[in-house]
Amino acid sequence: MLRFEKRDKTPVRLRVLVPICSVLLGLLAGSVVMLFARVNPVRVYGAIVKGAFGSAYTFSETLVIAVPLILISVGLCLVYRMKFFNIGAKGQYIMGAICGSYLALFGPATMSRPVLLTLMLVLGTLGGALWAIIPALLKVYWNVNEVIATLLLNYIASYILWFFMYGTWGTRGFPLSKNFALNAQLPRILPAPSRLHIGLFFGLAAAVIVWIIIRKTRFGYETRVLGDNERAARYAGINVFKTVIIAAVISGGLAGLAGIAHTSAVLRILQLEINSDYGYTAIIAAWLAGLDPLVAVGVSVLLAALEAGGYQIQIVMRVPFGIVGVIESSILFCLLAGEIITHYRVTLTRRLSTPPRSTPRIGKKCSGALDERARGAHESCL
Amino acid sequence: MNPAFDSILIKVLAGAVQSGTILLFPTLGEVLTERSGVLNLGLEGLMLIGAFFGFLGAMKTGNPYVGLLLGMAAAAAAAAIHAFICVTLRGNQTVTGLALAIFGTGLTSFYGDRWVSQRLTTPIKPMAIPGLSQIPVVGPILFSQDLIVYAGYILVALFWFLLFKTKVGVNLRAVGENAKAADAMGVNVVGTRYFWTILGGALAGAGGAYITCCIHPYWLNGITSGKGWIAVALVVFAMWNPFNALVGAFLFGSIEALQLQLQAGGTYINSALLSMLPYITTFAVIIVATLIVRVRHVGTPKELGIPYAREEK
Repeated sequence: MLRFEKRDKTPVRLRVLVPICSVLLGLLAGSVVMLFARVNPVRVYGAIVKGAFGSAYTFSETLVIAVPLILISVGLCLVYRMKFFNIGAKGQYIMGAICGSYLALFGPATMSRPVLLTLMLVLGTLGGALWAIIPALLKVYWNVNEVIATLLLNYIASYILWFFMYGTWGTRGFPLSKNFALNAQLPRILPAPSRLHIGLFFGLAAAVIVWIIIRKTRFGYETRVLGDNERAARYAGINVFKTVIIAAVISGGLAGLAGIAHTSAVLRILQLEINSDYGYTAIIAAWLAGLDPLVAVGVSVLLAALEAGGYQIQIVMRVPFGIVGVIESSILFCLLAGEIITHYRVTLTRRLSTPPRSTPRIGKKCSGALDERARGAHESCL
Repeated sequence: MNPAFDSILIKVLAGAVQSGTILLFPTLGEVLTERSGVLNLGLEGLMLIGAFFGFLGAMKTGNPYVGLLLGMAAAAAAAAIHAFICVTLRGNQTVTGLALAIFGTGLTSFYGDRWVSQRLTTPIKPMAIPGLSQIPVVGPILFSQDLIVYAGYILVALFWFLLFKTKVGVNLRAVGENAKAADAMGVNVVGTRYFWTILGGALAGAGGAYITCCIHPYWLNGITSGKGWIAVALVVFAMWNPFNALVGAFLFGSIEALQLQLQAGGTYINSALLSMLPYITTFAVIIVATLIVRVRHVGTPKELGIPYAREEK
């Protein structure tokens, strides 16, 4: 029979092998889905790789998508460690974009560029943090399920954006704001047509800072203890309320920052479609990275390549973008299935203490089992 | 009262029962799944799978009931993935449910792309119950509906009886409350969890297929528009009781019908705010329901979301 023993620590070998196998199996599952639709997976994957890494420009577009994924997933690494399942990054991203854009659209025109941009980023971060603090407070005070709360807040944020865009923020009845003034555009770092912007550095800095928080600070230690065992954390004198709320604010703030940075640097306009679904993709990135913020950077680039390639195949080959969701979720399925070997030591053992079976029938069918039991009994005698 | 107002009210409430039925099936299914101790947050994905494959089946065969069954089967198969990862492999149920939601959205928008905006010419037709439908007010609201709505009424009664009055129900609840004790009693914990997770998936699929085979007989990507998540919240509102699930689903159906009526009536309320209404209400309701559950200590199956392993302490 199979025996499961809980592991204290997952060997590094498995921590690397399981995610890699998950990615491969996820791509395989995507191929099966494509074959049913009579789409050639080899050609699609070829086009995805070409669309993501084919030239300096396409690679920079991949990085453009990676920036919000890095910012969001790094924050998620922190909150997920304490089992606060914030899946509201989408809503926090939107609120960040709305709050920051308010200043870009209606702020005083005389403000100098660095001041305006700094204030926009701060407001955006605060907007995202606000949208994360609501479910965090509800969780710690009243134990309201954070998954449902953050998810509903995603929809509410979407409709708030809709409300503004079809209302006073739209122009001439279209759900598009006026273009951001030059002063309100976050600088891009490569020559046109690349849209890569300084948000990349924010993302890298955030990854390093959150890594330090998790590994080197008392707060990070507390989040880990809290994630392992809430009761133990309380006994150890950890302020659960404070820890949950601070972590939620950091993760929501980073999602808000991602929202305003992407809007201000890449889109340069506020509209209904501001790529807020990165909030869901980032969840997969965080999980695939094993909740390690530094690994999350690399994983974000990988998933960004899948997304960038996904846009390409939709345009060039007319393969629906939905296939990206299928691949991403299949990767996640495999990763979760892999927890059985990362969390448990699985061994094949022979049951020694078999309860005596009532009147075993003698026959060909049964003899193997009898032999087995006899051997088991023999071994237990030794 | 003004007869014109009366007829509008009856129309809105009849619409509320239809919208409510969409929510009733996934909520009912999730009540049972969670009673067995398995948390399936992927209802949105399962509903989409049910909606798409239901539509596809109805288009190919011309029979919407066959479509509905196909949608249920497809969603049940997807729920089996959830059961396998969460029950057998003991994966994280929250994240698996989320993966299921992403999977359903991606899969249906991939296969559904070529079907977008195509109409089903043979949707499910209403079938008034003779006698009952003649009752004033109640008749046209409750008993001039289609077979799926009636199936909903019957399932609520059936599952309530099953859950609270039969051995099967006792075993099901025992597995969700204390799997170890249930196992010691001789209940098959793994089998029970598999069965109710897959059945819950089939019911979620029925809710989705009911949209495309009857109410909106066409296909659009993401046609369920968050109803799966509202259903997850309704389970808390229902305090894991099938009868309350009916009340909750019809209440939310009314909000939806009212919102549609107001939008069609061209009121001056902003349409974004109206569309937000169901989500805001759900948000408020989930808070209130959680507080009530806390005070009255009812509902939540104790081992919800906790995988069972026989050899562990």
